[in-house]
Amino acid sequence: MKIIFDWRISRVVDDQGHIVDEILWDGTMSPSGIAKRLLKLQQGRLLPEVITLSERFPEAKIDSMGALSEPNWPKAPDSEEIFHRATLELAKMGVADSSKDMDRRLDMLVSATLEVRSFWTTSESRCIEWAGLFITEADLDSQRDAIPRSIATSENIVDASENLQVSPPMHMPSDSEWASMVSHAVSVTSSSEILEQLESSIREIASIHVPSLSALLGPLSAAKLVSLAGGRERLARMPSGSLQVLGAHAAMSAHRRGAPPPKHGAVLFSMPQVSRSPRWVRGKIARYLAGKASIAVRVDHFEGETWGKDTIDEINSEIEAIKAKFPKPPKRN
Amino acid sequence: MSNKSKPILWGVRKDGRTLWTRNAVKGISVRGERRKREGRIEWRRWDPTRSKVAAALLRTRAEPASLLPNPGSTCLYLGASSGGTVSHIHDFVCGAENHHSGQLVAVEISPRMVRDLVKLSERRPGIVPVLGDARKPEHIAAFIRGKANWIHQDLSIADQAETFVRIAKSFLAAGGTGLLSLKAASERSSQGDDNSRFQRAERIIMDSDLILEERIDLTGLEEQHVVFVCSSRTG
Repeated sequence: MKIIFDWRISRVVDDQGHIVDEILWDGTMSPSGIAKRLLKLQQGRLLPEVITLSERFPEAKIDSMGALSEPNWPKAPDSEEIFHRATLELAKMGVADSSKDMDRRLDMLVSATLEVRSFWTTSESRCIEWAGLFITEADLDSQRDAIPRSIATSENIVDASENLQVSPPMHMPSDSEWASMVSHAVSVTSSSEILEQLESSIREIASIHVPSLSALLGPLSAAKLVSLAGGRERLARMPSGSLQVLGAHAAMSAHRRGAPPPKHGAVLFSMPQVSRSPRWVRGKIARYLAGKASIAVRVDHFEGETWGKDTIDEINSEIEAIKAKFPKPPKRN
Repeated sequence: MSNKSKPILWGVRKDGRTLWTRNAVKGISVRGERRKREGRIEWRRWDPTRSKVAAALLRTRAEPASLLPNPGSTCLYLGASSGGTVSHIHDFVCGAENHHSGQLVAVEISPRMVRDLVKLSERRPGIVPVLGDARKPEHIAAFIRGKANWIHQDLSIADQAETFVRIAKSFLAAGGTGLLSLKAASERSSQGDDNSRFQRAERIIMDSDLILEERIDLTGLEEQHVVFVCSSRTG
């Protein structure tokens, strides 16, 4: 004996295929009403009618796929249109619901930051070179930060040189040329503001979404790892060895072709504990840190107790111990 | 349409190296494909470089119609993406305003893609858009009206062949047709070259209850892809 059902009808059928009992759904036939029932079924929860039937027939087995193979399952041509609308509504609800996904939101921020940063790097150096072509006395290293700002905010190039406290240029740009320089410089200064804004949102969201990992690696690196892994859950389920080399795609594929394995990916290398350590312990520290990061993200994902300062201090002193243990580079054979 | 064009099924024609389906929503292209009028009928070009089903139709050694569902069938499409191929299947399985009473359940896991799919389904009754994981039968069962006469799986996941066999077992009707589009790059990367991955998938299908009818290589139309045409045993 089994209970089989779809969104309209629930039935108890005996082993010979005879209908023993049946309940029809008597709710209002509205797209949203049907959508709710479909969602329930999709989530693997039981419809109230099925619960009632299984109370009436405790020995009957609930078979969620059973109705599909029933040759005489009643068709409902009159409810086809409303069913279609219900499925549209449910799909739309699911799409709307995806904005609660913190992984996606973090990924948007991280990807936007990467793109703005790459724009900023090229534009900023162009802006410096451009200004330096005219204002020959400006120091392009020590005054680097001030140059885009003074171009962006000055009336003309003589003002800009005054702002930078150097003598005016020998040759002047034309009016439209100067206007182009200014708009270009404005795009540089505004993109550095955008970057700051983006990074502060990343800090905010990462400290909520992956608090322990953020405490260990800093929220920006934590967010980058989550985004590279394709979500917090995937990062949490990843072996720490994979986490260690996240962001080292090229080195990993070279490794598959026989090169030595990468010691760390871009994210772990950006950690001062790794990049400021002597070359011969970087691999050891990266491996240790990856192990800890892997535990941290599991704590975050599986709702463990968030790591506090004590844990982080302990980890950092352990890193110092690793460094102290290997003060000299290994001898080459 | 030239005189040489041959009908494959109701609503599907082959004209030299191109395929056309009878547009169920006249005047609208789904992704910028060409349209042609022929009296009261409008045909929409089915691009074999953008649809693996269309590519398989051109490359098969069997009767092309045997790869496709008939008008009015129940169909399951896993990995519907934004619905390009789905729209062509809908053209002949359901037709305008679903006058064939077909059903085409289109499953897709990415909300971004489902967004486009919903827009498509709004104009095309008969398509049931489902946001869900194609590997989980319970995500699909509530939406499909019965066992499917035709299944196409086009997922970019590891273990595509195992999933296909499992899904076909749950959903493919007796005597139904199942197409598996296999992308070499999605299978586990450690295990050998493309060909050995295709062979591994082939073995999985042969060991199952499905009958493997044909393995179609799509090289030239869709790189690193093969389509396996399977059928379920009758009765």
